[in-house]
Amino acid sequence: MSDDDWPTPMPRPGDDDENQGADASVFAVFAPPHDPLPDDTPPDDTTAAESPDETAAVPSGDDDDGEPEPAGAALSVRSARQAVPAAGSPPPSRVGSPMRGLAVPGGTDRVVGPRRRIGPLSWIGAALLGVWLVAMPLTSTVTELRQNTQIIVMVLAVLGVNIATGYGGMISLGHGVFVAVGAFAAAYAVDDLALPWIVSLVAGAAFAGVIGALVGLPALRIKGIHLALVTLGLAIVFQPLAKRVPAFSGGVSGRAVGAEMVPPSWFGTSRWAEGFYRYLICLAIVGLAIWLTRNIISSRPGRAMRAVRDNDTAAAVYGVNLVASRVSTFAASASLAGLAGALSIVLVPFTSQESFPFQESLVLYATAVLGGLGSIWGSVLGVAIREAFSRLGELVGEVGGLGPISEFLSLLDEEQFVFGVLLVALTFVFPRGLIGLFNRRRDTPVSSGAQNRTQP
Amino acid sequence: MDVVLLLQRIFDALFNSAIYSSLALALVIIFRSTGLLNFAQGEMATFSAYIAFVLLAGAAPGVKGGGLASWIGAPLVTPVAIGLAVIIGIGAGAATERVLIRPLRNAPELALVNVTIGILLALNSLMGQWWGTGPRVFPPFFPSSPGDHIDIAGARIRYSTVGAWLVLLTLLLLLALLLRYTRAGLAFRAVSIDPVSAALNGIRVGPTLMYGWALAAGLGAIAANMSANSVLLEPTMMVRVLVYAFAAATLGGLDSPKGALVGGVVVGLSQTLIPAYVPFIGFELSVLPALVAMVVVLIVRPAGLFGTQRIERV
Repeated sequence: MSDDDWPTPMPRPGDDDENQGADASVFAVFAPPHDPLPDDTPPDDTTAAESPDETAAVPSGDDDDGEPEPAGAALSVRSARQAVPAAGSPPPSRVGSPMRGLAVPGGTDRVVGPRRRIGPLSWIGAALLGVWLVAMPLTSTVTELRQNTQIIVMVLAVLGVNIATGYGGMISLGHGVFVAVGAFAAAYAVDDLALPWIVSLVAGAAFAGVIGALVGLPALRIKGIHLALVTLGLAIVFQPLAKRVPAFSGGVSGRAVGAEMVPPSWFGTSRWAEGFYRYLICLAIVGLAIWLTRNIISSRPGRAMRAVRDNDTAAAVYGVNLVASRVSTFAASASLAGLAGALSIVLVPFTSQESFPFQESLVLYATAVLGGLGSIWGSVLGVAIREAFSRLGELVGEVGGLGPISEFLSLLDEEQFVFGVLLVALTFVFPRGLIGLFNRRRDTPVSSGAQNRTQP
Repeated sequence: MDVVLLLQRIFDALFNSAIYSSLALALVIIFRSTGLLNFAQGEMATFSAYIAFVLLAGAAPGVKGGGLASWIGAPLVTPVAIGLAVIIGIGAGAATERVLIRPLRNAPELALVNVTIGILLALNSLMGQWWGTGPRVFPPFFPSSPGDHIDIAGARIRYSTVGAWLVLLTLLLLLALLLRYTRAGLAFRAVSIDPVSAALNGIRVGPTLMYGWALAAGLGAIAANMSANSVLLEPTMMVRVLVYAFAAATLGGLDSPKGALVGGVVVGLSQTLIPAYVPFIGFELSVLPALVAMVVVLIVRPAGLFGTQRIERV
């Protein structure tokens, strides 16, 4: 690969002077003269994005109204690329724009843009997702239905990573911890406190959010790669720590959940009906959480989040409260993960620290990166890919008698291995994650957390 | 407080200190030159220890790569096997830099985090798949039968501890000589300070950084091979060690070799002494104080004890 694949020139340590161009992002006002434009950029688009006044309007941009602006010819094509819609969801006009607010010198993206048109690939993806959501429960056995529902729930955990890392710019390698904490807290609420299920689920998410806020506090000072280090440490220290609080986590052996979520009697009493009821509940909650997330991201707190990610000093200058923004971003991302954990005990009435080794956190992170950071639908895509690979691995892992080829195929059954390799490969091939495939142009900036290398 | 017991604990801790110092030094070398934390350092080191294990185990059933050992013929003696494994580790480190890191020299930090995390995941899983997740017995690097110790004031300091420190100090001396008196060392220092100016002065930055990675991988491999006997060889062997090493490097200052040494000693001591006197922590949770220390240092004094203060230009 060539350097040109990286749209934002990143300085080597010590390149202070070149630094600022890369830094500019939303705050184009601070940017030195822009880089030459990519050849295929339509002229009217670039003039719009290049104008410092317009680009700099982010923090107080006109996104609030939530109404689609009239689709302006060239611009709408430009911004069409970023969303994969899903059936039954509101048109994702402002969702999943990894680069919103990341207008880089050269103007590939408008901060305040017209409604995006949706590309054909996205429609296909949405249609597939919709068909799967309807057909899957009807054709599944009880066990399959439960497993598939777990996959849907996992979207929230990945989305949690995405909020912290993709939107908040705080690399989190420890989100498995929040999933676990959410599961423990929900189990505690529904069993030991005998609360109703819906309250317990909220309690699980809320408790994980509180823990997330606590973890987010150091993130006020610790940034970029150092934060990645601290969250990795958190993921590693979690298992022994959880064993120390058996009342909460069930200790070494884990805790079984006594309460069961049963459907009302009119719904049916068969085991399949039970599973289908839980599927509907989980789907509704996941959908609601995604919708809420989308709204938060496209409103003021979300813009503040991205502004802080891109340049915290400039964001502060514009009146963003850095402390509130960082802590609440981390809390929100943790509570999404916690909700995923809480929902998981609805499906499988058992939870244990055993299920959350640090590798699990890393795989969650890898899933978010693979799908595409800074895009809600990227997280959905990431989970779909994870599932696809695990099915593929199960299939080809069984193939024997081919000598070394079989041996290689059996490695494909190792989720960790596959994700490790994919994470490395995708960094080279699709720096923006697979959601980038749905985008028309590949020269949008990488929506990365830490934009600048740490200076040693 | 029992003074002899305390002394004994300190002596026991010193072995771990040496290991943490070596790995912290490896992390510092890479951070200093590339501004990158190598999350895969521990797994790369463990991989090298597994290679030594394979070379030593011979054609044991169920051991991946046993054929390699039987192809060599006579079973290797421990020092030769470990030496070969370290050399292979060094080569792998250099190759990693050349193939996976250098093409990303203009990429954002996140891309490099992704690559190192990817290597960590893949290697960790690969080792589990090839050699099993259970612990393996690894021969001692130094004589370590029950009688191999020196008595000092009633406490025992084991040969392995003395040996680990001798190895570490020798390596440090060599490293210092290399950096101070050789052309490659001069180039490395120049690149660490300012890669652009170094390049303008005709230094080939890429290969210089590759040497840095090779050095770091070698240090890590030596640390893993020295400690594989006492902690038992398993794929996650270096995971906790990596947290300690990161804590040590952070404490000392991420760009300071001296800091890595001092940090390693402090972290090693605290890892043994804190669980001994604070019952809640216990052995398994002894990684928690290290993590807390790391967070506190990063918040209060990000440069650590000996690191360079960073000044950000806005």
